[in-house]
Amino acid sequence: MSDWKSYTPVLIPDIPNLHEINVYVKNGGYESLKKVLSKDWTPESVVNEVKAANIRGRGGAGFNAGLKWSFMPKPDGGPRYLACNGDESEPGTFKDRKIFEYNPHLFIEGALIAAYAMQVTTIYVYIRGEYRSWILMMEKALKDAYEKGFIGKNILGSDFSVEFHVTGGAGAYICGEETSMLESLEGKRGYPRVKPPFPAQKGLWGRPTTINNIETLACVPLVIERGADWFSGVGAPTHPGPVLYGISGHVNRPGVYELPTGMPVLQLIDEVAGGMRNGKKLKGLIPGGSSTPILRGDSLEGVNMDADSLREAGSMMGTAGMIVMDEDTDMVEMLWRIAYFYHHESCGQCTPCREGTGWLEKILLKIKNGEGEIRDLDLLLDLTTQMEGRTICALADAAAWPVRHTINRFRDEFEARCKQSTFALA
Amino acid sequence: MPELFIDGIRYEYEGSPKLLQFILDNGKEVPFFCYHPSMSAPANCRQCYVKVGMPVKDRETGEYELDENGERVIRWFPKMQTSCSLDITDGMVVHTQETSEEVARAQKDTMELILINHPLDCPICDQAGECPLQIQTYKYGPEGSRFEVKKVHKPKRVELGPRVTLDAERCINCTRCVRFTEEISETFQLTIASRGDKNYPITAPGKPFDDPYSVNTVDICPVGALTSTDFRFKARVWEMNQTPSIDITGGKGTNVDLWTRDNLVLRITPRYNAEVNDHWMPDAGREAYQRFNEKRISRPSIKIDGDNQVKTSWNNAIETFAETLEGNKPSDVVVIGSPHASVEENYSVMKFFSTWGVNNFHFAPHIEKGFGDDFLLTDDQAPNTNGVKALGIDESSDLNAAIKSAKVVVILSDELIDRGAIDASSLKGKYTVLLATNESQTSAAADLVIPVTCIAEHAASYVNVDGRVQRSFPAKETKYSNRKLNLEMSEGRLDRHGTYFDNWVTEENKIDCIPAWEVVSKLASRMGLDIAFDNSREIFEEVSSSVPLFKGINYERMDEENGVQLTGNSKEEVTA
Repeated sequence: MSDWKSYTPVLIPDIPNLHEINVYVKNGGYESLKKVLSKDWTPESVVNEVKAANIRGRGGAGFNAGLKWSFMPKPDGGPRYLACNGDESEPGTFKDRKIFEYNPHLFIEGALIAAYAMQVTTIYVYIRGEYRSWILMMEKALKDAYEKGFIGKNILGSDFSVEFHVTGGAGAYICGEETSMLESLEGKRGYPRVKPPFPAQKGLWGRPTTINNIETLACVPLVIERGADWFSGVGAPTHPGPVLYGISGHVNRPGVYELPTGMPVLQLIDEVAGGMRNGKKLKGLIPGGSSTPILRGDSLEGVNMDADSLREAGSMMGTAGMIVMDEDTDMVEMLWRIAYFYHHESCGQCTPCREGTGWLEKILLKIKNGEGEIRDLDLLLDLTTQMEGRTICALADAAAWPVRHTINRFRDEFEARCKQSTFALA
Repeated sequence: MPELFIDGIRYEYEGSPKLLQFILDNGKEVPFFCYHPSMSAPANCRQCYVKVGMPVKDRETGEYELDENGERVIRWFPKMQTSCSLDITDGMVVHTQETSEEVARAQKDTMELILINHPLDCPICDQAGECPLQIQTYKYGPEGSRFEVKKVHKPKRVELGPRVTLDAERCINCTRCVRFTEEISETFQLTIASRGDKNYPITAPGKPFDDPYSVNTVDICPVGALTSTDFRFKARVWEMNQTPSIDITGGKGTNVDLWTRDNLVLRITPRYNAEVNDHWMPDAGREAYQRFNEKRISRPSIKIDGDNQVKTSWNNAIETFAETLEGNKPSDVVVIGSPHASVEENYSVMKFFSTWGVNNFHFAPHIEKGFGDDFLLTDDQAPNTNGVKALGIDESSDLNAAIKSAKVVVILSDELIDRGAIDASSLKGKYTVLLATNESQTSAAADLVIPVTCIAEHAASYVNVDGRVQRSFPAKETKYSNRKLNLEMSEGRLDRHGTYFDNWVTEENKIDCIPAWEVVSKLASRMGLDIAFDNSREIFEEVSSSVPLFKGINYERMDEENGVQLTGNSKEEVTA
């Protein structure tokens, strides 16, 4: 996208004090909610509109949000839940907190529309515990929305009622996994659940529940306001819409940038983020949070930030939290640090992840300290296959992928760090 | 009927069983750790992987699609599945480690990971020999380990509670113990603390694990992480013999195994019986093993010179007993049966005395109000209250009054003074004969004490609070050799009998006692009555033909059906 500078942000527009409800309403806020609560829209038509817009989940998995909503069973009179995932603990990801801070009501409105579409009775927003200030901001925003009558009984005179609560996490990465977030919301230890049953059948307290990312829900009012066609026309055709790029690392202007999907990676780094710091060369890029496979800096030509292009390049979109690394980066040290994180955060429920993450970290530490051997690299790669796909949730995958791909893509650096073979070849 | 194929063999199934349970029920094996048939399946050990596929059906006709060889086209699940949590569906095709290299490899991989932080201290671990981790490592594990870095260290020798000791390093985090306190005993006393490879089960800070069912967690622990504080370091499992029996500390009739070595019962563990206790037993019942070993009465004793009790010979004891009876009229004798003794003991004693002319039979139920719960603990403290009732012995609320006019009191195996059913002063001036297993205040007060076998030494039946008759087997030998009694011993015992590997090698721990029915037979022979009981099996057959409630029941049926429910005219009649 050559004219990225002319793009007007819609998720975090440049309007002062937009987090205040009056400013938000003055700028056309809660109009989409009014629209869907009017006679012309049924819950089904909202679901279909969102499905047509093809909002691909911004939490990392990239699943069509409207399709996810349609998995909810028919209402049976009992409670139904929407759980909004603001746990945002993946290293390199810091986009949702911008929504909490600068445009909380857009998310609240989106969640309310989603609740109407799925006939949900209670909404929870789960925010990571370290985001103490942002939890308070959300509590304030919800209080304001309750007072204005956007949440509660008979919203805006319709017969739709919903409750909305904020819950803080307690510092566990695993609680960002949707089912362990449900456990945590229920007040239990954050252990992911065995699927099936899926949350749409048996979620919170055994009732139908849908889990959406904060940014995903923030897109919903825009879809209602401007139509599914507008949304699916923005950015990459198979992965459309505006997206918050969280760019960090060795760039001149790190930060969260709202732009359409499908932006060329190099343009994001060189132009949007102001280029590499100190004019260094780009060595590697983690495109969507620490669990997505690293890409070599010299393989980024023509790669765009959307699911298809990144898959072709050998990585994933994830949360669009890009970690940029320059030529001075020590890949062994970097990978050890990532492995350390997953070792620390594995919940310890499944054997391959509980034991595997620790083992990976310890071997990498050994290599980092120059005590490793070449065969340790093969053991690491072997371990990743022993872990991947063999656990209840995807944390083992998230821990295994960086190890496998970083070693495969920067093997020379790892070999250089290992002890030389004592058996000289003739 | 819906079908599935496991390793190429067709099975039919009913209902909606989980795959692992179905595989186990059909005599096949898939290794597992966290799964337990009586609890929820968390699928966290990832050991029971199998490869699963579903046949492809034509959407329109609903017929199975066939390939060029006429075989069903199978669409395999992209990932292997944990069989413990997988519902069987019609047409499912399953490959276990027997037919799939991929599955065998996955199981080996998981075993390797489970073992990296396990201390591998089997030589000093109590679980060795009955350890699922050890067994499955031999069967499915890798040959060695590639783990060359430092193991995780966790708390060891933690006193979780009065009866359970934790070694957190051995723990493989299967969460069976946590789920037990959540789903079975419902005390919620255990949880997993910490995260990742540092986690282990523990109680809330400062709170003891004093669950009345706590030792069950030791039984279900698939490694040696939880061990019984009482039993640890006492014996290797392969040195002991395991004999089925019944818990004697309560009315529930919990099925147990007695573990013996050298004629000592070293521990008691629950034995599965879906109708009575499932896989569980209360901690109270486990401590009963001490009664079988300690403070046993060995050789008869008799009071001479006032209160001085001395040991005497069997001949003298029987002679004294007979002379005492002959010196009195049958109407001067009261016989007190016992809810703590078996049906056979009560029956044989009652039969002898009623033949001789006594018609004054009583017993006192041993009830402690408020002791029971709605699980396995009961207010009834005796194993055979309903059995005594079924024999028609009078239930007496005031034994002191019942024995007031008697000159001779015969008490069968019941510590009446100790439990306050009778006052020591009530026995003053009367001649008291006690048939007993253990020393007690009651035995100290008796004029003649005849030692009889306890549940660990004889085969006999007991009727629980729900009217279910179940029987015991001799688990240890007595000093006096009895071929019929030994025949009831379990097979494992017989195989070793008299060989070098026989665990009953010393005479030291054998008790000089005989079954109550032998006492009665000797007495009858001395007194010229035509009563002779050879063994308990025959006695029970006699009971079965003369007491309506026991009609049609015999030892064979009890063994085959794991205990038999009495069928009376009403529930009240059975469990009155």
